[in-house]
Amino acid sequence: MMQPQIILLKEGTDTSQGKGQIISNVNACQIIADAVRTTLGPRGMDKLIVDDRGKATISNDGATILKLLDVVHPAAKTLVDIAKSQDAEVGDGTTSVTLLAGEFLKQCKPFIEEGVHPNIIIRAFRKATNLAVSKIREISVKVQKDDPKQGRELLLKCASTALSSKLVAMQKDFFASMVVDAVMLLDELLPLNMIGVKKVQGGALEDSLLVAGVAFKKTFSYAGFEMQPKKYTKPRIALLNIELELKAEKENAEVRVDSVEEYQAVVDAEWNILYEKLEKIHKSGAKVVLSKLPIGDVATQYFADRDLFCAGRVPDEDLKRTLKACGGSIQTTVANLTDDVLGTCELFEEQQIGGERFNIFTGCPQAKTCTLILRGGAEQFIEETERSLHDAIMIVRRAIKNDAVVAGGGAIEMELSKYLRDHSRTIAGKEQLLIGAMAKALEVIPRQLCDNAGFDATNILNKLRQKHAQGGTWYGVDITAEDIADNLKACVWEPAIVKINALTAASEAACLILSVDETIKNPKAGEGGPAGRGRGRPM
Amino acid sequence: MSMGSLAFDEFGRPFLILKDQDKKSRLHGIEAHKSHIMAAKTVASTLRTSLGPKGLDKMMVSSDGEVTISNDGATILSMMDVDHQIAKLMVQLSKSQDDEIGDGTTGVVVMAGALLEQAEQLLDRGIHPIRIADGYEMAAQVAIGHLDKICDQFPLDQSHRERLIETAMTTLGSKIVNRCHRQFAEIAVDAVLSVADLERKDVDFELIKMEGKVGGKLEDTMLVKGVVIDKDMSHPQMPKRIKDAKIAILTCPFEPPKPKTKHKLDVTSVDDYKKLRVYETEKFDEMVKQVKDTGANLVICQWGFDDEANHLLLQRQLPAVRWVGGPEIELIAIATGGRIVPRFQELTTDKLGKAGIVRELTFGTTKDRMLVIEECHNSRAVTIFIRAGNRMIIEEAKRSLHDALCVVRNLVKDHRIVYGGGAAEIAMSLAVSQEAEKISTLEQYAMRAFADALDSVPLALAENSGQAPIQTVAEIKSRQVTEKNPRLGIDCMNKGSNDMREQHVIETLSSKRAQIMLAVQLTKMILKIDDIRSSSENVSL
Repeated sequence: MMQPQIILLKEGTDTSQGKGQIISNVNACQIIADAVRTTLGPRGMDKLIVDDRGKATISNDGATILKLLDVVHPAAKTLVDIAKSQDAEVGDGTTSVTLLAGEFLKQCKPFIEEGVHPNIIIRAFRKATNLAVSKIREISVKVQKDDPKQGRELLLKCASTALSSKLVAMQKDFFASMVVDAVMLLDELLPLNMIGVKKVQGGALEDSLLVAGVAFKKTFSYAGFEMQPKKYTKPRIALLNIELELKAEKENAEVRVDSVEEYQAVVDAEWNILYEKLEKIHKSGAKVVLSKLPIGDVATQYFADRDLFCAGRVPDEDLKRTLKACGGSIQTTVANLTDDVLGTCELFEEQQIGGERFNIFTGCPQAKTCTLILRGGAEQFIEETERSLHDAIMIVRRAIKNDAVVAGGGAIEMELSKYLRDHSRTIAGKEQLLIGAMAKALEVIPRQLCDNAGFDATNILNKLRQKHAQGGTWYGVDITAEDIADNLKACVWEPAIVKINALTAASEAACLILSVDETIKNPKAGEGGPAGRGRGRPM
Repeated sequence: MSMGSLAFDEFGRPFLILKDQDKKSRLHGIEAHKSHIMAAKTVASTLRTSLGPKGLDKMMVSSDGEVTISNDGATILSMMDVDHQIAKLMVQLSKSQDDEIGDGTTGVVVMAGALLEQAEQLLDRGIHPIRIADGYEMAAQVAIGHLDKICDQFPLDQSHRERLIETAMTTLGSKIVNRCHRQFAEIAVDAVLSVADLERKDVDFELIKMEGKVGGKLEDTMLVKGVVIDKDMSHPQMPKRIKDAKIAILTCPFEPPKPKTKHKLDVTSVDDYKKLRVYETEKFDEMVKQVKDTGANLVICQWGFDDEANHLLLQRQLPAVRWVGGPEIELIAIATGGRIVPRFQELTTDKLGKAGIVRELTFGTTKDRMLVIEECHNSRAVTIFIRAGNRMIIEEAKRSLHDALCVVRNLVKDHRIVYGGGAAEIAMSLAVSQEAEKISTLEQYAMRAFADALDSVPLALAENSGQAPIQTVAEIKSRQVTEKNPRLGIDCMNKGSNDMREQHVIETLSSKRAQIMLAVQLTKMILKIDDIRSSSENVSL
């Protein structure tokens, strides 16, 4: 007698479960980790990714690469997510976090195959992570920030370590000081959106500049613009959200004109509405008029006649930053243009930068904002510079809030590895092996650094293990000399928070993937395979 | 080419990690480098023959059959419509040189191509690409440092016009217009000097306009100290020549004003209709009167007016020009010192622009006319008016003049110069190879490769001039060393002297510098890529 088949899930649903599922998830994560493996460190390489529309991106940033890879595998997506969260949380170390998670999984694969229960592995990993984090906290070096000069030194070193793996590595001193200056200009909260980044093609990287204030590209202008003055000292600035153009005041109004005389009256009325607006703006004493909406040719010429400067269609974020820098408030009507809603700054100027003209506001009273103007050869080049600077800015922000640093170049990972290995020896039971595995996994960072630089990884790692066993806490890979060195002295510094976050995120991701033993995947609508192939049974 | 990487599950079946993985291709490691270098070399070799005074032009036919002939690297590349990602980077490279400096767009691509070609050999020897990139960077520093040492300075004022002209001539030397070499160079220099602000060292290119007209000879090209617009008087019987013109510049049409609000006028009776008619004529009369009252004797209008209005204007003896574009209006306003007026009511005497003479130009047997506004109140706006046999030559002449203008501008900004004809490259090459010996690490090889790459520019120059390239360059190199004279270069024009100072082949320091910096930047970027992922239909291999 035939057993009636019970169909529990929709036809075509793909399910797989058990040990095999974990292994296959681990394999998928390995591939993701492999994709970013070579970007780690100062000798890391870049990736060129072309999307469906043919847009090319060249990047070294782990999060950017993974985002562009368009991963669909559910387990592999977890790794992409932790890279993103690392990017959002600390901004740097996205490659390391992916690598670490991949390596954790790789190290525990043999245990899974041998039948160790995933939950035991997870517990051991959690424990090891806690140990490692407290160790980082314990050994991290506090830098005295009371002395502004020393504090700046610290920030500079952190920024240049973050930049050393990027395309702009050769100019890292230049950009590090630029980034530090930019962040120093902000207020205590260090809001990231107050640092504007503008890109102008052409010129050398060193032509990039930092404007202590707001700068934005000249907007589209009407005839008459060239006759407006382009430089003011201490102007009053009106920020508007009004269309200054001849237009129908009400959208669906229709005027019924009875006689010819009235016709003229309607025309005059429309002009008067506009002139009244312009008059009010002029009377308010504002010298620079910025509006989110278009400023028409009549208004442009009106302002030109009265020596005012105007720019219409200013992008929203630029207007907001001007607002933050210069004070005042954005007005949607001209009825109430009093002194307190007008902003001001020391100097307003229109300047030529490369092929573009820029409106630059400097010396703002509430100067809690700044603008980086980046220059460079190709579009992709500038974009990658922007991403690199973003990483550096994030690091500097972190370092200001948190003054503990550790040495980079694999030094901290080696030290943690040694610490965990020593610790594992004191435990009885399976956890001993597992914590040992995690210790081994941590070595992936220095190993990858060596591999990327083309060094003999085994040789360097052996040297490092020996040094760390002798108590050389801060010994890491020395990229320039193909040797090991005390990276704390060599000024390869990273904020401790970056490492703590990377370690926790990586181990969490690994635990998450290990705890999944079944995937149920619904078929895509309209893509149901041929009937009878459900349940993922081999045909 | 390998497919995107695959993973296998417990039954050995592959499963997908990336979306549409089977459609994506991936190039990895050394293969990726080789493919990049190949692409970049191909682009560079296309441009190689365009370098120098004896360089040849390229003819590009676009998809809709339009023909462009050019010698300008940036133009050629932008017309080539390349698809390969790395080749696109080369195009951008020459474009950014064009944006920043305006000249040397061919040189920069040839340089980048040579650098990558040298890098390929080093990669074959197993040197890590980043080490090569680092070495190039170090070499670039040395090269630029050396440029600063060998550059010449000359103070800029009106009396040094001669030097400026010589520099402009070097730029124009390779272009199609070198028949009237000197004349074009003079035009470029005069144009820049008349708009330049020597105090601020700023040159506003918006004030220099280039107009072309088919017909005549290249020699008829001239510099108009004023504005030329490609329009004629609105009515053929209007005066062709207006002395002491007072110009009303209007951005409103010559017609009864209409409200912007949607409106409807009910005409119910014949009387009403007549009234409307009278109103329109009255309105028009009023407008003309307003213009006349201010004393204007020429109206330049951004918008049009109908034929009836045109006729009325003629009757009232008010010459007018209609449909003048926005940028031209602005230029006229700047040149004549007038104000742009948006409304008739606002017109006053002091808002009028003043010009010594406004005349219409006619050409040969064609009916084409152009309006020239000269002897303006403010002579800072100038127009270069180009004549030539066909449109392609005019376009190319425009591009060539643009290059020359840029060079002169750069000299106004930074008046340091180096000598052209490959002299600067050879000098840099010598300096870099000397410095390379002092480096103990692997970068030494990269620096030597950089020196070899620098030689590619003089080599290409010699080859394009029909000389034995290697022999010539070797000879000049040895002479530069023995005579300690960094001004020796390739004698492209066979003038019998290798001293570029005698030949007056001058280039700006800023241009050379930008060339090296940009080329090295791009090379570094390409060398750093070891992995390309793309949807397979996008890969052009």
